[in-house]
Amino acid sequence: MLKWLWAAFADLREGIAFRRAWMALAGEDITDQHRRTALGPIWLLINYLAFVGTFIAIFGYARGAGFSAYVALGFFVWMYLSEVINQSISLFVREENFIKGTRLPLSVYVFRLTMQSLIRAGYALIGLLGLLFILGTPITMAWMWSLIGILLIVAITPAAITVLAVAGAFFPDLQFVVGNVIRLGLFLTPIFWYPAEGAIRGHFYFWNPFTYFLEIVRVPITDGVLPLHAFYVCGLIGAISWLLALWSLGRFRRQIIFVL
Amino acid sequence: MPSIHLDNVSLVYRVRHKLSFRPADRRLSPPGGVIGGRGTKRFVTALDGVSLDLKAGDRLGLAGPNGAGKTTLLKVIYGVYEPSGGVVKIDGRVDALFNITLGFRGEATGRRNVELRGLINGWSKEEIAERMPEIIEFSELGEFIDMPLKAYSQGMAARLAFSVATSFEPEILVMDEWIGAGDKSFQDKAASRMNALAEKAGIMILASHNPTLLKRTCNKILTLEKGKIKSLEPTASTD
Repeated sequence: MLKWLWAAFADLREGIAFRRAWMALAGEDITDQHRRTALGPIWLLINYLAFVGTFIAIFGYARGAGFSAYVALGFFVWMYLSEVINQSISLFVREENFIKGTRLPLSVYVFRLTMQSLIRAGYALIGLLGLLFILGTPITMAWMWSLIGILLIVAITPAAITVLAVAGAFFPDLQFVVGNVIRLGLFLTPIFWYPAEGAIRGHFYFWNPFTYFLEIVRVPITDGVLPLHAFYVCGLIGAISWLLALWSLGRFRRQIIFVL
Repeated sequence: MPSIHLDNVSLVYRVRHKLSFRPADRRLSPPGGVIGGRGTKRFVTALDGVSLDLKAGDRLGLAGPNGAGKTTLLKVIYGVYEPSGGVVKIDGRVDALFNITLGFRGEATGRRNVELRGLINGWSKEEIAERMPEIIEFSELGEFIDMPLKAYSQGMAARLAFSVATSFEPEILVMDEWIGAGDKSFQDKAASRMNALAEKAGIMILASHNPTLLKRTCNKILTLEKGKIKSLEPTASTD
């Protein structure tokens, strides 16, 4: 009855046993993406700073340091989420040669992408901390909640990647659907704007699941409080994601090779 | 003692078609497998009722035209494909020589590539460290081992790939075509390494289009045709 669950756990367990392999590969991937450049992965830091810095300079100047920190934090989380989602939908298609040529469990590819995304986010994080320092954002104990928020997002990442990667393998069109969602999400997610009662964006603030992932990292730093409600929503999304991930991995992992 | 037991193994997979308004092409009849179904519900029977028993010491050659199911059978035994029907029972660790340059990275050094390949093969840190000197020596790359792979000639890269891929003690060895690499002198070395590997392996399965090679290295020859066993015969020269 629960055969898929055991299959999924077996895959994950095997994947974790290969941790040295996916850690090494993720590191190589990042270096490869910046091969022949003098600055190498420092570009990841520059990418983030250039975007947020420009935005703050143009739109944030008159609105004060609070708004600038709001944007810097929001965009940091958004960049991570959108990248993970974009990359995971075509994950198994990109790994076709490995999937067809080795016995590696599928979770190895999932963890490899997780690791890659974390390394990238690590560089952006340096930029974020630098900006917060320049903006004079007060450091409080509430920052710990942000850290927990980040850890929660990291914990959900492999589940989200698995679900999207399996779906993307069976429905290649999803790649373009997701591409559009991400592009619109930049505007429909409260990265650059505050929620407003009555205005249409209030609805987007409320119904957009990305909102809550931004809030668990952003609110503790900008407002110094614990966004309990947002944590609940993210926890729920995380639980559902992991259930779906285990189901899709356990149920379909053997079929994926035939649809690539 | 390694052993392989296949009972009535079959592999059927569906071929998915794009959503299209164009009338379906009905002329389709490529080699290999058996295509069934119509329109968007086509499926390929790559293996059909394959039963086989191998015990330690067996050297099985797989013959048959393109698309007969040789590679598919190897991959079922290796564990890449899960069969759609039948029983696969394997005792012993299976090692494969399929795509030996898989995962090689141009930007990384030869040494790093050996490490990565080892990690992908599931070797421990100690195993990699232990095999490294032997791999470097066998590949004859000398100081080039610390140069990025993209600086290698094709032959040098092939020698490295061969050296890594054959650096293990196989219990069950499956191969898609006999592999070799490099210039004349290296080819001889590679050939003797391959012979040694095939001899050391508890069970070896080799798919090839070269009947002379199969006769020389194998004690049984299995001929596949359209996914089915056409014949399974001992080679004349056995014992």
